[in-house]
Amino acid sequence: MGRRGRWHGGLAAAILALPLAAGQAPSAREKCPVCGMFVAKYPDWMAVLRFKDGSALAFDGPKDLFTAYLDLKRYAPGRSPADVAAIEVKDYYSLRVVDGFRAVFVIGSDVAGPMGRELVPFAEAGDAAAFLKDHRGRRSLRFGEVTAAVLRSLP
Amino acid sequence: MPGTLRRTRSILDFALASLLRRKGRNAALLGVYTLVVFVAASLVFFTQAVKREAHQVLADAPGLVVQRTLAGRQDLVPLAWADWVRGLRGVRSVRPRWWGYYYDGAFGANFTVQASEDAALPAGSARIGAGAARILRVKEGDLITLRGHDNLPLLLTVQGILSSDSELVASDLLLLPREDFQTLFGLPPDQATDLAVDVANPRELPTLAAKIAERYPEARPILHSEILRTYDAIFDWRGGLLVAVLMIAVLCFAIFAWDRAAGLSAEERREIGILKSIGWETSDVLLLKLLEGLAVSLTAFLSGCVLAYGHVFLFSAPLFEGALKGWSVLYPRYRLVPVVDGYQLSLLFLLAVVPYTAATLIPGWRAATVDPDAAMRS
Repeated sequence: MGRRGRWHGGLAAAILALPLAAGQAPSAREKCPVCGMFVAKYPDWMAVLRFKDGSALAFDGPKDLFTAYLDLKRYAPGRSPADVAAIEVKDYYSLRVVDGFRAVFVIGSDVAGPMGRELVPFAEAGDAAAFLKDHRGRRSLRFGEVTAAVLRSLP
Repeated sequence: MPGTLRRTRSILDFALASLLRRKGRNAALLGVYTLVVFVAASLVFFTQAVKREAHQVLADAPGLVVQRTLAGRQDLVPLAWADWVRGLRGVRSVRPRWWGYYYDGAFGANFTVQASEDAALPAGSARIGAGAARILRVKEGDLITLRGHDNLPLLLTVQGILSSDSELVASDLLLLPREDFQTLFGLPPDQATDLAVDVANPRELPTLAAKIAERYPEARPILHSEILRTYDAIFDWRGGLLVAVLMIAVLCFAIFAWDRAAGLSAEERREIGILKSIGWETSDVLLLKLLEGLAVSLTAFLSGCVLAYGHVFLFSAPLFEGALKGWSVLYPRYRLVPVVDGYQLSLLFLLAVVPYTAATLIPGWRAATVDPDAAMRS
């Protein structure tokens, strides 16, 4: 049984090493590098950081993605923001994968993610504004406006 | 070690023989015991299976259903509502639905009638459930006649019988094209029975429901989770009805079993006295009583459970039908998918086997600790 378990583990590692195709669900065992929770359990909140060499990191919410992105030295040693090829987040209303760099994020709303208060992503600014009103959000932010200080304000 | 095993085997042998010696009394006890376990286990199996069935059926149900109320009763929804709801953020699709009930006086049966927008179902044809086909005595290609609201007959060709794997739901169903549905009931063309709303993100459902209720005060938005909760409550309530009846049976049994197990007869007490005087130890006597109790309660538990399994899953619970199934005249004939919940079963085991075994053990222990001489004299 031990040997079989190891074999499965090896297989999982081999799969993890393969680049995730766009929008592809992570394997059931993949954990968020920031909080350690299983990513596949929260498909609605999944956020993916893709590097130019084809590897990727999956997170259980945009908040953890930003935590890692703003501190790559710690979460992806040897990489810099210049190595990031794409950021994928899921639009709140349609649950479609959208470009994280161009998305609008709403903070301070009454919608909680797996890790509590979240940066809720939207593809369209109009959707973000409507959400901000419906769910009593505090602010909507562009990708570049999300800083470590903003993350600290989200417990 | 083999010595202990051999001793236990001999005592088990003795226990079975002593049970057989009082054949009539023990058989009666076993019969009643089995019956109680049978009813309780049937109940557990049945409610679990029906609940699961309902959950499975409702898995495909829309996230949100919008009804309209008029003076607190359900009324038709204007199709204009659908267009407004479609424009809300997060809504993936809005589908108006047409459905209702039709009572056929000639056959004394209630049918669920639903309109289909399927292009493969042309005007003048219908698809019907297996139960409805049985009642109406029709097969594919036959004609059925329904009496419209204006007293004019509506003739429909049976295009197909709905598959019976979803019989609990589809049994009494008549699926009509939308135009025929509207003719049958005289429905205005710009109104529907209700709206089925699908969303991409179910987290947004309560917000949508609130928005709809704000825009149309007479609207009644019903969430998927609320439907599930209602179904659970209904089956729990119906199950509760039977539990109340079962309680009486269990209490009767408890009195009977207590009388049987707790009060040892003078004869049994003398038997224990003799056993002790010929060299049995107290622990041997206790083991004997334990094995006697286990033999009766385990046999009753196992046979009760097996009988209940057969009753519910092979014969579709004929004993509960009246209480647990729907109100409709036309009962769906179906087979429940076997589900056995380990938790419920072990709870039943705990309630059925343990108290009885304990009840046999205590008086045995009391008799066994008495001086054998005194026991034989009494």
